[in-house]
Amino acid sequence: MSVMTKTIAEETGGQIYQPLLCKIGSKRVLTPLETLFRIELPEGRELGHRPGQFVQVSILGYGEAPISISSSPTRKGYFELGVRNAGTLTGAMHELKEGDKIGIRGPFGTFFDAEKLAGKDLVLIAGGCGLAPMRSLIQYCEDRPSEFGKLTILYGAKTPGDRLYKEDLVEWGNSNTFACNYAVDGVPDGACFDEGQVGLITVLIPPLSLDVQNTVAVIVGPPVMYKFVIAELKKKGLTEEQIVVSLERYMKCGVGKCGHCAIEHLYCCIDGPVFWLNEISGIRGAI
Amino acid sequence: MKRATTQELKTFFESLGTDYDLRAPVKLHDGTRVLGGLDEGPLALEGGKIPQKPTSVFFPQFDEVFMVSKDGQFHAAEPVKKPIFVVGFTAQDLDCLEFIDKFFSENYRDDIYFNKRDGAVLVGVSGKCGKDGEFLKIAGGKCDIELISDGECFIVHPHTDKGKALVESLKASECGCGGVKMETLKEESDALPKDDEETIDKASELIRAGKVPDDFWNEIATRCIACTSCNLACPTCTCFEVYDREQDGKMVRQRIWDSCQLDGFMREASGHNPAGLQMQRTHRRIHHKLAADVERWGHRTCMLCGRCDDVCPTDIGIKSVCKEIVERYS
Amino acid sequence: MKRTLTTCPYCGTGCQFYLLADDNGRLVGVEPSSTHVVAKGQLCVKGWNAFNFPNHPDRLTVPQIRKDGKLVEASWDEALDLIASKLKETQEKHGTDSIAFFSSAKTTNEENYALMKLARAVFKTNNVDHCARLCHSSTVVGLAGTFGSGAMTNSISCVEETDCILVTGSNTTEQHPLIGTRVINAVKGGTKLIVADNRKIRLADIADMHIRWENGTDVAFLNGLMHVIIKEGLADDEFVRTRTENYDELKTVVAEFTPERAAAICKITPEEVVNAARMYATAERAMIIYSMGITQHSHGVDNVKSCANLAMLTGNVGKTGTGVNPLRGQNNVQGACDLGALPNVYTGYQKVVDEASRAKFEKAWGVENLPGNVGLTVTTAINAAFDGELKALYVLGENPMMSDPDQHHVKAGLDKLDFLVVQDIFPTPTTALADVVLPAACYAEKDGTFTSTERRCQRVRKACDPPGKARQDWDIVGDLARRMGYDGLTYNSPKEIMDEITEVTPIYGGMHYDRIDQVGLQWPCPDREHPGTPFLHKGTFKRGLGLFSPAPYKPSMELPDDEYPFVLSTGRCYFHFHTGTMTRRSRLLDREERFPYIEIHPDDAKRLGIYDRFPVMVSTRRGEVKALARVSDIVIPGHLFMTFHFEEGAANVLTNNALDPVAKIPEFKVCAAQIKGAS
Repeated sequence: MSVMTKTIAEETGGQIYQPLLCKIGSKRVLTPLETLFRIELPEGRELGHRPGQFVQVSILGYGEAPISISSSPTRKGYFELGVRNAGTLTGAMHELKEGDKIGIRGPFGTFFDAEKLAGKDLVLIAGGCGLAPMRSLIQYCEDRPSEFGKLTILYGAKTPGDRLYKEDLVEWGNSNTFACNYAVDGVPDGACFDEGQVGLITVLIPPLSLDVQNTVAVIVGPPVMYKFVIAELKKKGLTEEQIVVSLERYMKCGVGKCGHCAIEHLYCCIDGPVFWLNEISGIRGAI
Repeated sequence: MKRATTQELKTFFESLGTDYDLRAPVKLHDGTRVLGGLDEGPLALEGGKIPQKPTSVFFPQFDEVFMVSKDGQFHAAEPVKKPIFVVGFTAQDLDCLEFIDKFFSENYRDDIYFNKRDGAVLVGVSGKCGKDGEFLKIAGGKCDIELISDGECFIVHPHTDKGKALVESLKASECGCGGVKMETLKEESDALPKDDEETIDKASELIRAGKVPDDFWNEIATRCIACTSCNLACPTCTCFEVYDREQDGKMVRQRIWDSCQLDGFMREASGHNPAGLQMQRTHRRIHHKLAADVERWGHRTCMLCGRCDDVCPTDIGIKSVCKEIVERYS
Repeated sequence: MKRTLTTCPYCGTGCQFYLLADDNGRLVGVEPSSTHVVAKGQLCVKGWNAFNFPNHPDRLTVPQIRKDGKLVEASWDEALDLIASKLKETQEKHGTDSIAFFSSAKTTNEENYALMKLARAVFKTNNVDHCARLCHSSTVVGLAGTFGSGAMTNSISCVEETDCILVTGSNTTEQHPLIGTRVINAVKGGTKLIVADNRKIRLADIADMHIRWENGTDVAFLNGLMHVIIKEGLADDEFVRTRTENYDELKTVVAEFTPERAAAICKITPEEVVNAARMYATAERAMIIYSMGITQHSHGVDNVKSCANLAMLTGNVGKTGTGVNPLRGQNNVQGACDLGALPNVYTGYQKVVDEASRAKFEKAWGVENLPGNVGLTVTTAINAAFDGELKALYVLGENPMMSDPDQHHVKAGLDKLDFLVVQDIFPTPTTALADVVLPAACYAEKDGTFTSTERRCQRVRKACDPPGKARQDWDIVGDLARRMGYDGLTYNSPKEIMDEITEVTPIYGGMHYDRIDQVGLQWPCPDREHPGTPFLHKGTFKRGLGLFSPAPYKPSMELPDDEYPFVLSTGRCYFHFHTGTMTRRSRLLDREERFPYIEIHPDDAKRLGIYDRFPVMVSTRRGEVKALARVSDIVIPGHLFMTFHFEEGAANVLTNNALDPVAKIPEFKVCAAQIKGAS
């Protein structure tokens, strides 16, 4: 479990629900539905997050929503949020302009623990929007490759047009740090896809050659994806102790009070969103 | 210890009104008992638990989270003007409060709750003052003062230093029985039947052991109309919804009681819903208190106050469901 | 903190609760009344959240007048003077019946009385009606014709005292939740339950029989039941002989409705007809609960009368645990009818065509020449506006743009008016068309009474002040009357109005505020000593003998065809109320259902490539709307169901303005529709 960053906690004087107003430094359109927001804290302070954590984003009058952080803490002076225009808050967020203020609480939640992952071969598996939180870990690995063993990225999206962070995907694909394998579920008429395979993300797993003893797989994606990806990984010989997942739930408070994100005895906001699979196996409704 | 009549207690409570925001069991004009001010109706210490959850004094149905004035300044919810002095918690209610105190303070401290909770004085009620003469379990602690009815008057038992200091100003005669009355009452309290505890603990065991099949939850769910009363009446239910609303030109972030019995409780913006079936929600309602919380907090979080059983229009409150579980699966 | 005991503003069940207001007079919560005879310390989700909309920022707070096409803020004097002069001018130019008044089933009895008195005493027109036209006008006509009184015959508590319940066209657990729970409990206690409704509603899960007939074939089914009952000798001959008339005609009409024929029309099996008939008729005490599924048809009156026939045939009227029980959908739709917000009757159903009644009211109101012609209904008034015969309309607390059938037709009608006044608590698609908008107090901000579905008249009490310059409806109406030169609508309080009502209304004769302070009374309650009437027609029917009124089966007006192959039915969901003005501004309720949706059977969805939660376009001969598909076996193949709560996907763009010839209720439950995927 994490605690709210000092910078924000100090600012709000222990008022855990009060956001800190931060500036939208820049906006970049990722897809027709998704935009990347670069957020700057006042006075150039750092958010102090770890890869995999999330913040509660507020737009006054529209409410608040949890959004995972898309950038690595190794990138200084800002943090980034890749946001899909899906609800009231995220819709309002897309209307904001560079320079506008946005309320931030956090960072919250558990994270991809670089210390525990140190020295391991990592298979980073993201589906759809799951690339947003995964990107914070990918960037972290990119900036500190020596901390880890072999790094593999698997990314699947519905169609080529739905793929997030297309420039990053190219960059990662070209870098020596990562082995990248991409897939799309389908290619609509008129579109083309030559950066990987057509098929569900699970098709990317069987061909991998893994050092099974020394590998950890990290999965972030839509709810339907987990079961199938986990099954494929288990076929490759990975155990639940070697699989990390990040779960998404409806949340209101981010601090373990409002109750919306409870999965049996675990609160996705403070006990998660990042779990080792063995922590949640047997918990009904988790996956 | 002092032994006070209802009238003496009323005078005592009234005298505290200048320093405290007083809430005591009062009878409203259609006979409904609530935790209210003494100006709302006659003091009604007798009659057992208050139908509504007494923890609402600290965690009300509606609360302000913060307010943003026109100039964009944040204003935290104002702390209460006077500390709350609340009378009327039963032993079970005090157990509930103890739990939600823990819940709201652990990990992150919910400042809005503690705005009201800090400095509050708790007065428990027990003894021979339950509904239809039922004996209410003696709490023996967890509150500042306990009022223990012997059937005629209330023995005033302060449990904390704050309670002791306050009780000094109570004008009432000393009990003068050398503790004999208290002993007898305690014996009676200890001798209260433990059937409900046994049933619920057994049900908790069965649920945790996976002995209760989905068919059972399905069956119970067909009788649920999602009225949400069970959650809203439960003193250990703490879930809330948050939203922004403009008021008099200011933007107010507000929170209101929520209910896990509603489809929208866990539904995500994408439409995906991990609890999209009534059966899952019915299961959660019971499982949460009797299994999940045991895992997380080390104990069940239903203290058997019976409110959900009272407010459920189709008789599927937690006690009644547990009884059925034990009858069918043990 | 202040607690105020009041009555729920949603359905007609009539639960009471306390509204909690903080020291600033803001509503902050709800606590059920533990002693209330219906609520018993319980509430449904809408009741629990009834504190959440009154302080919504959208509330109308100042009068507005349309100037240069735009609504602009005005003073009360300005607004009311304009209304008075415009209405006067219209009547002078086009005749007294060129204006009409829509009253509201959401406002109090006192306010309905005031508006109906304004229409009749001041403006001398019987053009006054309210939304009961759209929900239970067929009940009022049908039950008055057969029994002599158009109200629910029994009490809610009777559900607990019956042996068999036939629920038809009522989604009771969603629309009258606490009555629905009584049904659930009764079934647990051994009562038989027949759900005759083609949607798989929650009660269907626990029913002994769930009969999913084709929408609109109600009469065939009910006649089929009666056919079996007569044939198998299950009728209550004694009751039929001593309490009813016209039995022979019933026998003749139902003779042809053999189980086979009824089943063929309804698309069910003959066994279902036979078994349901036996289950209902052999029960010691059996009751019928129905709602919009019965009434909202072009043959709504026939449906209601058929229910009444069935009850009489088996002797299930006039005692506890029986009866024909239409559940009234609005908190005060019963009261609005009782208080004469109808074009044909004064309070207590005293007919305007009856000279003695007119004389009585002329005397009571100190006026002359009360009109004796029956006025326009909500539905025919819109038609009259469309035809240019109606020139001005005063709408108090209704939203015809969303609640009435065929929205394009309604809009065209309202657009043709010279002058439209809308008095409401929130902006609606109807206020958007108004020339004058008056801000009104909501239920939490006023005193008065509501009459629940079981004819129980209960107190409504002011828990907080209205926002801004909003005023109580009765006060606004009184002010307008004074500007028309009439002082007979000037009251100091709703209590004074009720005192007047008791004097002119025999069935409300004993409804004084001091008597209903804690528990409301059920009418008829003719005098101060009368204890109220839990069930009607004991010993004798209101009209003397019960009149068997058999009806032949008539198909719905618009049936599916190749172009529009689906049957579209409309209604409400659990979380929203009517046109959503209140519930969509209540946070939790709004969260539960945020988008217009349409239910479609999985087989149909699959065939048409429609996916759950994906947008679809629904169209009928009247128009088209977009909604999200809800793929579910709650509906039968070939049928669609849509709620009318959503302005952005208004079901009433689609519905058919075909009316029952007598009750003038529209056929909301059946029209032909087409559906396809949308982007």
